[in-house]
Amino acid sequence: MTSYLDASLPTRSEHLWRYTPWSRVHPTKVDELPTIGEVVVESEDTVLKIVPKRSIQHGNDIARIFLDEVLENTHILALENETNHVHIRAGGHAVAAHIHIESKQSSSVMFHLTGEAEWVGLWLTGNILPNSQLSVGLINELSTDTVLVRTDNWNVERDGDFELATLSLGGQRIKSDIRTTLSGSNSNHKQFIAVHGHGTRHDDHHVEIHHQQPHSNSKLTVNAACDDRSHSVGTGALTIDDDAQHTDAGQIFRNLLLSPSARAEAIPELEVMANEVAAAHGAASAPIDSTQMHYLMSRGLSQEEATAMLVEGFLVDSFVEVRSDSVREAMQTRLTVHLECQLLG
Amino acid sequence: MGEMMGDALLRVENLHVSVEGTPILNGLNLTINRGEIHAIMGRNGSGKSTLANVVMGHPAYEITQGTIHYKGSNIEEMEVFQRAREGMFLSFQYPASIPGVQVGTFLRKSVASVRGEAPPPREFRKELKNAMEQLSMDRSFLSRYVNQGFSGGEKKRLEILQLLLLQPDLAILDETDSGLDIDALRIVADGINSIAQDTGCLVITHYQRLLDLVKPDVVHVLLDGKIAQSGGPELALKLEDEGYDWVDALA
Repeated sequence: MTSYLDASLPTRSEHLWRYTPWSRVHPTKVDELPTIGEVVVESEDTVLKIVPKRSIQHGNDIARIFLDEVLENTHILALENETNHVHIRAGGHAVAAHIHIESKQSSSVMFHLTGEAEWVGLWLTGNILPNSQLSVGLINELSTDTVLVRTDNWNVERDGDFELATLSLGGQRIKSDIRTTLSGSNSNHKQFIAVHGHGTRHDDHHVEIHHQQPHSNSKLTVNAACDDRSHSVGTGALTIDDDAQHTDAGQIFRNLLLSPSARAEAIPELEVMANEVAAAHGAASAPIDSTQMHYLMSRGLSQEEATAMLVEGFLVDSFVEVRSDSVREAMQTRLTVHLECQLLG
Repeated sequence: MGEMMGDALLRVENLHVSVEGTPILNGLNLTINRGEIHAIMGRNGSGKSTLANVVMGHPAYEITQGTIHYKGSNIEEMEVFQRAREGMFLSFQYPASIPGVQVGTFLRKSVASVRGEAPPPREFRKELKNAMEQLSMDRSFLSRYVNQGFSGGEKKRLEILQLLLLQPDLAILDETDSGLDIDALRIVADGINSIAQDTGCLVITHYQRLLDLVKPDVVHVLLDGKIAQSGGPELALKLEDEGYDWVDALA
């Protein structure tokens, strides 16, 4: 395996690193391999085992090569209950964790990511076994100064059903690279991402979904509300192999621009080799709809209250199709509290 | 509120309004007192919805001349939400959809804003239940997103539900009868009648059928941005029978 210090650094011509170069999210300098501590991972609902780091395919991705080298352990999360909450607490200078989910039947897990570390690396992996269902939610509430590098690798086997929801509220600079492979026929994947950009947050979500087998379905919804001088990036890479006939896949990116200084990029990309598939993608960026604003204000809500309601609705709408009640409700509840603090003081 | 004037609930004088530089209203005069129901009829494009929107304070409409006084004060500078809090209500012809916002949450926040404080939860639930029963609305409405995926009739019922909860002093109903079947029209009309006694109502409509159920005190005909004729309920019947050509001739 390539070591980090021997690996070639990605250029900005690469889709993945176009908007957030590796140098901006490395904990120190790109030619260094600093000592990285461990985040605290806790749960009252499920068994967490710490084992020597599991080998993971890093696919020559620089962030994964880096994490593979600095991590010493893997947290194994064996989901036994239907609903599980896991707290990931990041303290200190630079910390990281690899969490691997083992789920055999139908279960859900909510990750609550908090802390004031300067740099956090998080690698989530899991294998959704045949005929099993897994719902994963992650709420990022890191400190406003934190840099987060998140890498995910998920594999969905035959007749497996996997949903992944992300609510991104915290951190200063975020680079997420979430990859899901639908390796079994009749497998399903839905992914939901809601981003609230505020202050000078830079939040970059790159999502790769790879259909390898026939009759597999995927849907990606990314809603980003961008205020102040924030910058949201959403890039998608949907690949449908030539064996993956009768695939149905869609990606939609929506950006709500709340300030003239806010920026948003939304770039879905498709690579379709099969010929009997349905594949759709779309992207839209717009300010608040004046008709909606007028309607709410005509019902007595001030401009600030109406804006808060519209932003909340826009972001909540990202999760409307989340099947797991516990994941959906956790997302919506946290979002409401966050927006009340952020938008209404 | 601004400068005080008279006792009328709403007094519109010599109102000229433009939208993106195009004049729509051209010297409209109208006075509505509390407890009165005024109906406004007119051809498409005559300015009916413009009147509704400009009274409610829609920012796209520019008053180029004339005044609007509400409860004795000039409200030209008053923001939309302040007008709502002062008791003004517009039932929209095409209410906006608000994805992700549940009807129950929206109603609670709206009522709290207009009343100046959040209603006690138990009392509000009871009030809401009664109003929804009055309009034959299922409780499942409350968990749906505001107007999203609603039929035309469901949208209008939600508008009237808000009317019942907000108990405005001035209710402007912009083609509330459009898209309603006969049963729904009766339910909506009953809702309007239940608040009309203490409210000034401005009912914009194309059809006599609503005015059979909501009896107007005064009927106005709007032509080219100003009121060309005013009269009693018989005026609406005449329009139903003869159309607007005779109004053109008089003008």
